[in-house]
Amino acid sequence: MGVMRLGYVHARVTDLAEARSHYGDTLGMRLVHEEAGRLYYKAWDEYDHHSVVLDEGGVGLVKLGYKVERPEDLAEFEKRAQAFGCLTERMSKGDNLAVGDGVRIVLPSDHVLELYADIEVTGTETGTLNPDPFPRHLVGVGVPRIDHALITAEDPALSERFFAEVLDFKVSERVVTDLDGGDTIGTWMFCTNTPHDIAVINGPNGKLHHFAYYLTDWNDILHAGDLFAMDDVSVDIGPTRHGITRGSTIYFFDPSGNRNEVFSGGYMTYPDFPTITWTADQLGKGIFYISRELNERFTTVLT
Amino acid sequence: MAGVTVEATGVTVALRAGETILAGLARAGYAYRAGCRRGGCGVCRAEVTAGEVEHRGGVAAAALPAAEAAAGACLTCRAVPLTDVVIRLPDDARFRCVAPLLAGLAGVSTAAGPAAGPGRKPQPGSLEQQGEH
Repeated sequence: MGVMRLGYVHARVTDLAEARSHYGDTLGMRLVHEEAGRLYYKAWDEYDHHSVVLDEGGVGLVKLGYKVERPEDLAEFEKRAQAFGCLTERMSKGDNLAVGDGVRIVLPSDHVLELYADIEVTGTETGTLNPDPFPRHLVGVGVPRIDHALITAEDPALSERFFAEVLDFKVSERVVTDLDGGDTIGTWMFCTNTPHDIAVINGPNGKLHHFAYYLTDWNDILHAGDLFAMDDVSVDIGPTRHGITRGSTIYFFDPSGNRNEVFSGGYMTYPDFPTITWTADQLGKGIFYISRELNERFTTVLT
Repeated sequence: MAGVTVEATGVTVALRAGETILAGLARAGYAYRAGCRRGGCGVCRAEVTAGEVEHRGGVAAAALPAAEAAAGACLTCRAVPLTDVVIRLPDDARFRCVAPLLAGLAGVSTAAGPAAGPGRKPQPGSLEQQGEH
């Protein structure tokens, strides 16, 4: 039993045509389905039906979907979420295109999280039999997969408890105001072998800080940056490195102002990974390791 | 061609056709607090105290509620002046000249001094001498 990974990010955009250009042409996700006011995308190394859903109207996060191992896990996670004090509801096969039955949970931070075990598996262009390492005709950045999301919460410690106690996530890194009983102002947590599958920092409830795509290495990050310049993408910061997660990164904005990230590197995690602690006075170094200073946007620009 | 004047600084920049206030001021070497630059976060908001602007491109209601837009607020990353306009930036917007060379090239006029000079004197305790990181 367990949560396997971030499966989908469902976000809002102010303009679908511009979103199509960004997520399709610049990032190189493939449009797999569209309906009135909504687009479904997947990245080339993802086997499931879709990983990004975009609704026209507004900005920010509609919900995050995490895929669990087995259908019977849903009842257990539902029970635990209710015991934690969260509102939950059952979702039925078809409520989300191509997604099976599931459990919808309103997090302590007001974000909506969906758990599901089944989603239509549509495979990849390279396939699973003697595959080539990548598809021949990638577009733009050619992102292989989504990686994680960072959301904001008034009480990150409570969010951390939720993901740990209800969903069995582990804490890879934590930022505290004081080593001796201080407040948690940020937490990075994993259910896979990556440094983070969700992260939560202090801020208003219900807001999105960013969602991220994984790239293979630093060279791909630079190449993505070049393409952002060619396509007039609004870049927040980077290429640079995070102290927290050790990943290399560019933060940038989609045409509606939602922050995206391309992320690569970072270490491996395992269930026995020790939690790394950062003190708030080193937050600048933790977030942007090279400049060691937060930019103003890091804490102010949320959607 | 419309111009934008930044209230309390005396800085006036002639904008190009279709140019947003944020883009025009940046072209003229001026910087101030901005966020996503795509109408989604509301960080680059200003009050239009004279003249008229039109928002071009998406603006999220969460970033600029319609009632506030009707009352004269704009997001400068999306606002294109239809007439000469005067805007008032928030006190903490840290409006400043970051590239005097560009200010000279753009022919910026300032009520206070030479075209290439800073927009205004730093206020005591303000952060405006710090660069954008």
